[in-house]
Amino acid sequence: MAQTESVTRPPASARPSGIRTSLGEKIFSFLNYTLFVFLALITIFPFLNLLAKSMSGEAAVVSGKVTLYPIDFQLGTYLYVMKDDMFLNSLKVSVMVTVIGTALALFMTALAAYPLSKPRLRGRKGFILMYIFTMLFSGGLVPTYLLMQNLHLVNKMPVLFLPAMISVFNMLIIKNYFESLPDSLEESAKLDGASNLAILFRITVPLSMPVFATIALFYAVHFWNDFFTSMIYINDPKLKPMQLYLKELLVSSSDSFLQENKNPDSALNATPQSIQAASILLATIPIVVVYPFLQKYFVKGVLVGSVKE
Amino acid sequence: MKTAPLNPPASPPRKTYMRKLMADIRKDWDLYVALIPGILFLLLFKYTPMYGILIAFKDFNIFEGMQASPWVGLHNFERLFTTPDFVKVFKNTLIISLYKIGFLFPIPIVIAILMNELKNMMFKRTVQTIVYLPHFLSWVIISGLFIDLLTVNGGLINKMIVAMGGEPISFFMNPSYFRSLVVSTAGWKEFGWNTIVYLAALSSIDPQLYEAAKMDGASKFRQIWHITLPGLIPTILLMFILRLGSILEAGTEQILVMYNPTVYNVGDVIGTYVFRIGLGEQDYSFSTAVGLFESIIAFFLVVTGNYLSRRFLKRGIW
Repeated sequence: MAQTESVTRPPASARPSGIRTSLGEKIFSFLNYTLFVFLALITIFPFLNLLAKSMSGEAAVVSGKVTLYPIDFQLGTYLYVMKDDMFLNSLKVSVMVTVIGTALALFMTALAAYPLSKPRLRGRKGFILMYIFTMLFSGGLVPTYLLMQNLHLVNKMPVLFLPAMISVFNMLIIKNYFESLPDSLEESAKLDGASNLAILFRITVPLSMPVFATIALFYAVHFWNDFFTSMIYINDPKLKPMQLYLKELLVSSSDSFLQENKNPDSALNATPQSIQAASILLATIPIVVVYPFLQKYFVKGVLVGSVKE
Repeated sequence: MKTAPLNPPASPPRKTYMRKLMADIRKDWDLYVALIPGILFLLLFKYTPMYGILIAFKDFNIFEGMQASPWVGLHNFERLFTTPDFVKVFKNTLIISLYKIGFLFPIPIVIAILMNELKNMMFKRTVQTIVYLPHFLSWVIISGLFIDLLTVNGGLINKMIVAMGGEPISFFMNPSYFRSLVVSTAGWKEFGWNTIVYLAALSSIDPQLYEAAKMDGASKFRQIWHITLPGLIPTILLMFILRLGSILEAGTEQILVMYNPTVYNVGDVIGTYVFRIGLGEQDYSFSTAVGLFESIIAFFLVVTGNYLSRRFLKRGIW
């Protein structure tokens, strides 16, 4: 029975279905491409709308005429935002936190990962468990806040990066990468009398640049985007990073706020909405500019780290 | 080694173990030194707050400090179960999480399968670049985009609603729309990025299976049903287990930037509640108790999930 079926089936079905599927497949393929054009448009559309708003005149924005292109074109909003002290200061804070934070975090994470990547390390399992446990359980918001208060870190810039110096997830990615490097390199360096740290910095680090690039990006994006930490610990206006500044800007121009106090800002040919739009776009630019070039590193990093066989 | 059997069994093995341990450490001393900064970091920034959880069992007063504040036993947990606010917040958290799982979990799977059928690599890569992008923007930026799109003061969506003869809707302030807003913006931000894991799983399916199916005259739909989906199932189950582990995290950062007092009734979740009660009203002990309650449930969910996935799927997160 099974034998006859396998013999008779190919000639019986191949020819007619070959024609049918090619038509069906064409329709499917057409619909599929259409779907993805649609998804791409849905993703881009809010950005284009915002861009158009940021370059439009006040009246056009508020009356809802602006869709994909500017009406009453102007760039005054951008000039206004880029001269705004608060904006510039928050930009400075964000850049500093991102640069210092990323450098420190990468160093600390790689240093922590190295010993844990060596099976000969005594108590290795225990130390790894100690790291992993912090992924599963934490002291929570308030005890962490009280700790920062005791350390006198509240309202200080280091609070924006010190508590985030080692992400266990990132540490495990680097550790796995170190483990994948051949042992023979280390052994030959050992024979030449190199110490462990010398091996780390002279042999392992140069070989690990791809994974370091990925992790540095993870950290940089984290520090650039993080508003929660600053929302918790920063009151001082001079120390507010850009995301927090933007958040407060958004609240001040949201529907709920406007309903309570009507304050049409008409100093320029710009509404709070177009200023807000320009600020958001300026904060987005660094990521949009670097992201397409680095996308493959992000994807690789996620796949390396997501699942352990 | 040769002399070992001659020694009495009780203490010397311990001694030789210690000696061997010390010798190992001395040989690799700098490896152990490299361990120190990370461990100190963990102890200070991760484990000290865990000790601080004790204030959940105290009536913590910031002036008296942690040690001097009086013990109150489980009083804060009794409060937790009798406060109507907490019951509401817990319910909101579960509802928003379940909406997110129900609506948003299947989407990346479907999209990944369809994306896998795109034969034009240039097109595929462009689409991927575009739909991955929102993942890299903060919730502040994303909510800014949608506040602008949905505002009653010239937002495009409301203009369309009015054009079609409807009343403008203040989405961010309307309790009947707020949860949908939270779920759909979360979907918009992550649908692309979440396909990555599935695309990777798809690329590891043996192409010969498709060749064979084509020879047998299987239609595209049947190929997807009989080859693609079965190939994806382990990944789908794993992601589902992981997702369930974070069911009490309904999107604290997202809701924190999107909500306002008019929608607290439907939008306030455990994370935002702890934030407001703890840091806003400075009810330290009670909010720590709420946080601990969440952490413990989350801990057991993740540990159980990982156990199940190791047991049945032969892979886990650690």
